[in-house]
Amino acid sequence: MTAAQTATAALPTRFAGARRFARAFRGRPSGVAGLVILIAFSVLALAAPLFIGDEQLDVTKVDGPLLAPPSADYPLGTDQSGRSVLLLLIWGSRESLRIGVIATVLTVVFGSAVGIIAGHYGGFVGRILMQVTDWFIALPSLPLAISLAAVLGQGSMSITIAIAVTSWTATARLVRAQTLAVEARPFVERARALGAGDRQIMTQQVLPNVMPLILVSSTLTVAGSLLSEATLTFLGLGNPADVTWGEMLHEAFFGGAFTAGAWWFLVPPGLAILAVVLAFTLTGRAVEYVLDPRMEKK
Amino acid sequence: MAVRETPGFRTALAAAVAGGLLLAGPTAPGLTTAAAASSGTTLRVAMDGSGVDTLNPFTAYFNGALDIFGTIYPSLTTIDDNGAPKPYLATSWTLSDDQLTWTFKLREGLKWSDGKPLTAEDAAWTLHLIMTDDVAGTANSTLVSDFESVTATDATTLVIKTKKPKANVTYSSIPISGIPIVPKHIWQSQVKNLRNYKNDTFPVVGYGPWILTEYKNGQYAKFDANKSFVLGAPKYDHLIEQIYKETDAAVAALKSGQLDYISGINATEYSSLQHVDGVRTAQAVGHGWVGLELNPGAKTRTGKPIGTGNPALADPVLRRAIALSVDKKTLVTKVLNGQGQVAEGYLPPAWPQWNWQPDPGKKQSYDPAAANKLLDKAGYKKGSDGIRIDPKTDKPLNLRLGIHSDDAADAAISRYLVGWFKAIGINAKIQAMSMSALNSDLGKGNWDMLMDAWTTGPDPTYQLGIQSCTTLPKDDGTGGNTDSFFCDPAYEKLFAKQATLFDPAERAEVVGQMQEILYDADVDIMFYNGTTKIAYSAKADGLVTGKPNADGFYPAQTAFWSYLKATPGSSSDSSSGGGNTGLWLGIGAAVIVLGAGVAVVRRRAGADDRE
Repeated sequence: MTAAQTATAALPTRFAGARRFARAFRGRPSGVAGLVILIAFSVLALAAPLFIGDEQLDVTKVDGPLLAPPSADYPLGTDQSGRSVLLLLIWGSRESLRIGVIATVLTVVFGSAVGIIAGHYGGFVGRILMQVTDWFIALPSLPLAISLAAVLGQGSMSITIAIAVTSWTATARLVRAQTLAVEARPFVERARALGAGDRQIMTQQVLPNVMPLILVSSTLTVAGSLLSEATLTFLGLGNPADVTWGEMLHEAFFGGAFTAGAWWFLVPPGLAILAVVLAFTLTGRAVEYVLDPRMEKK
Repeated sequence: MAVRETPGFRTALAAAVAGGLLLAGPTAPGLTTAAAASSGTTLRVAMDGSGVDTLNPFTAYFNGALDIFGTIYPSLTTIDDNGAPKPYLATSWTLSDDQLTWTFKLREGLKWSDGKPLTAEDAAWTLHLIMTDDVAGTANSTLVSDFESVTATDATTLVIKTKKPKANVTYSSIPISGIPIVPKHIWQSQVKNLRNYKNDTFPVVGYGPWILTEYKNGQYAKFDANKSFVLGAPKYDHLIEQIYKETDAAVAALKSGQLDYISGINATEYSSLQHVDGVRTAQAVGHGWVGLELNPGAKTRTGKPIGTGNPALADPVLRRAIALSVDKKTLVTKVLNGQGQVAEGYLPPAWPQWNWQPDPGKKQSYDPAAANKLLDKAGYKKGSDGIRIDPKTDKPLNLRLGIHSDDAADAAISRYLVGWFKAIGINAKIQAMSMSALNSDLGKGNWDMLMDAWTTGPDPTYQLGIQSCTTLPKDDGTGGNTDSFFCDPAYEKLFAKQATLFDPAERAEVVGQMQEILYDADVDIMFYNGTTKIAYSAKADGLVTGKPNADGFYPAQTAFWSYLKATPGSSSDSSSGGGNTGLWLGIGAAVIVLGAGVAVVRRRAGADDRE
């Protein structure tokens, strides 16, 4: 027996699972591509403050040509105030991703909690919770998000909340269904027979088993949140001082870049949204495939 | 009449457009329902983007509707290029010695479009109804405030008595922004039902250069020319006002030859049209301003402070420093693409008789160094983060900057303001709000700095009035109509005085002094007067009236004069969009081919079934 084998054996099974997961994930090229795109955007977003500052973003300090096509100095051209579209695009990824991720975390935490509680308790509590969920599903999400953002005041905070409020229902339904399935399994019954309380069953038995589903659902929710963020800011609910991709589209469209034929201001944020949403979706699908035993057999 | 710009309509439009764009893509405009032209020449214009709320002139607010009333109903006077009243229904007017009785001499022998005579009685009845009936006064009651009585002493004499001297009576009934005179014999029976009366029996009985023959909600309004119009017959036989949800669509229609005239396109659309064959562009001096309001300490009429405004702004030194920190020229060149003028005076350049400019020595030009010096001297010390501290409250100068969330120019300007304010040690936090939220906060005094925009008609009374102490809210918060909680005794005296000055030059002198007081108070900081940008077809002449000034800007344009003076160019016997014949033929051919294809496929299927 070699030292390496000893080490492997000593590792907890959880890490072995992660390794198995990584190996299977590597077998999905589309998922890997998605992950690479995500990592690239995340690194750019995190590193942006190192090379972008007020000098490039403050309209009173920039001195570029107005709405100029791409050139050597400005690889993606400039906006109506003479700022570099490339730098705006990179800076915009920060706020766009942040809103998307925070909204998703809120969505997933709230949605999973409702789903697990509704699935576990069933009966009166479950029915009420699911009826509330159905009620939210029936509400048209875009008008609701717009009115919420209007009530809460404009800016990234209210957009984040508006997205979370309108998108938690899908997660809740999904998690509840899985909770019901898990709770029907014998090990839960065994735990109950051994005297486990509601809380213990929910956190120790059910949660770990619905976790993969939550993970998959959340990667897909991020994609949806990014799109919602772009939609809401495009409709003018963002803070004009912020730089996000939706805000860039908003400025380009309502500032007339569309009519002026300034494709370099319109296309990059659109493509960036497309790329990141696609990357999240690809990654999500790959994770789903790897985690779902039924899909693996096919 | 002055109008606070209402981007509220624009929000709805923007949302609709965004929705439409997602569904249909930008190709839709070419295919909007085009009203078919009948025989003769037709002038096709784009209606004002606000559209028509109702065709009832007593209750309508939207500019699209007001444009229509201006062309189908008469008014007592009309406005010349200089903004001064001149004859329309009235050929002359005199004022009694006590300055309370105006006597208008009206033209003889005019007839409504249904053949009934148009007399002073119609005018008296219309004005009297607006004075006495709440519903009839919905839109225009402010224009007859202080009217004591209106009577028609005979068919051609109208006598207006006012409660106190009122210099702007001749502006009360002008086309578009004034009161349209309606035919008494048609409207008399509708008084009880005025709120719900839609006025949609076509052709609408009226008198003006045009007769409204058809109106399709959300699509178009069609007019026939009144060839016996007293101020000169329109040169075109028909007029169509086409409704476009978005000016981009109207621009596309103009490019493809389906439209002859658009007023109020944005800067980028304007630049994109400058080199298009068959399209001409022009700019008219602005009749509005965009600026910034600083809360000087909101108070009620009795002087009770209200609201959450930052007390630091009560200091005139701080307000002056803010005024000096703004580079208006950059805003004109970068936000407006140079299509406008730096504004100093409160009244816009469209009405030259009221225009005021500061003395060169007193002009507040962009000078952040001077602004910083002022603040240093006044004891506003900079904190460690570069933000100055208010010496009175020991709090850093964090000021809210409210902007209209649906206004692209507001958003663009606010980014510059934040940068400039930072340079003088003020931290501005942008709060984008809907029009209604912004105005509600304004009225309650819950604001520090607000972006504001107004457009003004030829008579400045209302615009000057919103700076008067009498428009401050009462103690219970109601009754306020103030623009920015400005209240100054000297201004108040001049405001009362200008209403009694009937010589235009004397009145202009006093109005100039009032503007100087406003300018020095730095409560309403004017940024710029954007031009009204116009694009029109090379096939039509005379659409743009007046002569351009040194900047190349034309005088303010109105739908009344532009459509009246337009003449079909030599190259166009019919302007019904001949350039599109090919397109329609193509579409027709495509439909036939598709239809044939479907028929063939269906027959085949039928044959299979039969076998």
